[in-house]
Amino acid sequence: MASTSAAPAAPATSPAEPILEVTGLVKHYPLTRGVLFRKQVGAVKAVDGVDFVLHRGETLGIVGESGCGKSTVAKMLVNLEKPTAGRIRYKGEDVTKLSGRALRAVRRNIQMVFQDPYTSLNPRMTVGDIIGEPYEIHPEVAPKGDRRKKVQDLLDVVGLNPEYINRYPHQFSGGQRQRIGIARGLALRPEVIVADEPVSALDVSVQAQVINLMANLQSEFDLSYIFIAHDLSIVRHISDRVGVMYLGRIVETGRDAEIYEHPTHPYTQALLSAVPVPDPEAREHRERIILSGDVPSPTNIPSGCRFRTRCWKAQERCALEVPALAVPAEFRHTGGPAAHDSACHFAEEKQVVPPEEPREDHGDTGA
Amino acid sequence: MLLEVHDLHVEFRTRDGIAKAVNGVTYGVDAGETLAVLGESGSGKSVTAQAVMGILDTPPGRITGGRILFQGRDLLTLKEEERRKVRGAEMAMIFQDALSSLNPVLSVGDQLGEMFVVHRGMSRKDARAKAVELMDRVRIPAAKERVRQYPHQFSGGMRQRIMIAMAMALEPALIIADEPTTALDVTVQAQVMELLAELQRELHMGLILITHDLGVVADVADRIAVMYAGRIVESAPVHDIYKAPAHPYTRGLLDSIPRLDQKGQELYAIKGLPPNLMHIPPGCAFHPRCPMAQDVCRTDEPPLYEVEEERGSACHFWRECLHG
Repeated sequence: MASTSAAPAAPATSPAEPILEVTGLVKHYPLTRGVLFRKQVGAVKAVDGVDFVLHRGETLGIVGESGCGKSTVAKMLVNLEKPTAGRIRYKGEDVTKLSGRALRAVRRNIQMVFQDPYTSLNPRMTVGDIIGEPYEIHPEVAPKGDRRKKVQDLLDVVGLNPEYINRYPHQFSGGQRQRIGIARGLALRPEVIVADEPVSALDVSVQAQVINLMANLQSEFDLSYIFIAHDLSIVRHISDRVGVMYLGRIVETGRDAEIYEHPTHPYTQALLSAVPVPDPEAREHRERIILSGDVPSPTNIPSGCRFRTRCWKAQERCALEVPALAVPAEFRHTGGPAAHDSACHFAEEKQVVPPEEPREDHGDTGA
Repeated sequence: MLLEVHDLHVEFRTRDGIAKAVNGVTYGVDAGETLAVLGESGSGKSVTAQAVMGILDTPPGRITGGRILFQGRDLLTLKEEERRKVRGAEMAMIFQDALSSLNPVLSVGDQLGEMFVVHRGMSRKDARAKAVELMDRVRIPAAKERVRQYPHQFSGGMRQRIMIAMAMALEPALIIADEPTTALDVTVQAQVMELLAELQRELHMGLILITHDLGVVADVADRIAVMYAGRIVESAPVHDIYKAPAHPYTRGLLDSIPRLDQKGQELYAIKGLPPNLMHIPPGCAFHPRCPMAQDVCRTDEPPLYEVEEERGSACHFWRECLHG
């Protein structure tokens, strides 16, 4: 990803300093055999060399299908999993090397919002205890007498009635629970929020409420987001830059318009063309790239380009040479939106999302 | 019409009271046609389908009114034994979660073959051969070898193909697919939807597609019925509804989805939450969330107004919605 961080980047990304820098991030889970003598016979290569940069105030979207490693990346960012290799630098400091008090200080600033608001909240704790629990670990943020007030403020911030502080999670709907999860994420006033599929479990009408809330909180608290999702439309809506993951690696990354309107990696193109578009008129003139087969097992990753087993362009070179994530040679001098990082030997631009006129505006936007 | 549901009412008796899950649903499907039933969780879309299939849990569920005509017969008057002959052979269902709908301790060959043993009285050997044929048909590679495998040995997409094979086995006239691709990744979802559409064309089946995904609906449906709080609030040919919705709920749904082709500003969000089915608001059930609600909406339940031929909207102000 050297090209995006080192090169004089696009104006919107450059003024902010990088808050999070990830280089060569790897997570392998060993597969062992034997009881008396444990031998490692292989590894699940969940994340296999991921680099990216997150700037202050920015949203980086990570999309990919199940098993691509996006959630494992999220867990490593918040220190729920230890990386096998690689560095995660928060404001220049390598988080993976820290321990004790220094680690705790960093973790305070990187918080997570989980996917499933039904299982990520303890059913036996009140909302007040759930949101206030981070203060037990980081008492310096809120002295004891102050906590109840802080929690009520947080409930207000995420659009819940502060009087609900003594209720239990089951008394709330899915959307409201996700608001509780967000309030807990905000409790320590973090700078970075890692959100792993935060709206996937919600109904369409409620999804929009939560996305709007996240966007408002971002500007209010100057937050930086890593937004992980499988829904490409939602990721586009909220992200400034997008990384597309496949089988443990980022295969293409760029600004949202570069990825959605000028994708050059065949996997991104297939992914975009497979998304159902809510417009029946598009049915006839839309080209669908239907991939054959399933994603290979992460225990047995194909040689060379890991997408080649499902790629319609694959040639001999793809089995031999791992394509680097960089601006492809043919676009290096042309510039323009097609010149962004893409890990493909045969990258070419292909427009797969039909340009459409926006629907007429609705006027008022509910909360 | 292949299937006609008339004024269907279903309620559930629970400890806390009676939940009115379906409150007068009317829809129909023709052979070869795809009807999409769109709604959020709790809208009654799956319960209606379960009533049609005859797999509603009774109790706690109870059909309190309405008729379900399938090829002219009223299914609700049939004896359970006759009903069982219809189910599987003449109408079949595809469920969302293939892993929990398939039996984990039986090989997929046994489960597919069972259809032929039970309904057609075939020998186990012939049934096994049929199972291989079906797996080929839904394009599962190496069907001959894989017929002996168990559900957990297949990927999510492959399992959903097995579900489809099972539903197709006896070439039914009607298939009900309840969120068939919701649990799948987009690239696999595209494969599965394509397969389903192809088989539907081949066998000229009626298809009821239950979904919450406006994108999937736009891709495959001929007609669409939008459900809210157990009622159909809008019913129309698919092209009309996306061009100009005639119900504020439909409009709100369409406006609240982020678009692939544009980076949005703030999304339109329908305020509030879907109603509790034990306390459905009086008048129009949508009025507490509706930006267009007037006094009449709080008191009078709107009938399904005829907007155009074969197009209805249950909104007192459908004209304003359609043109505003």
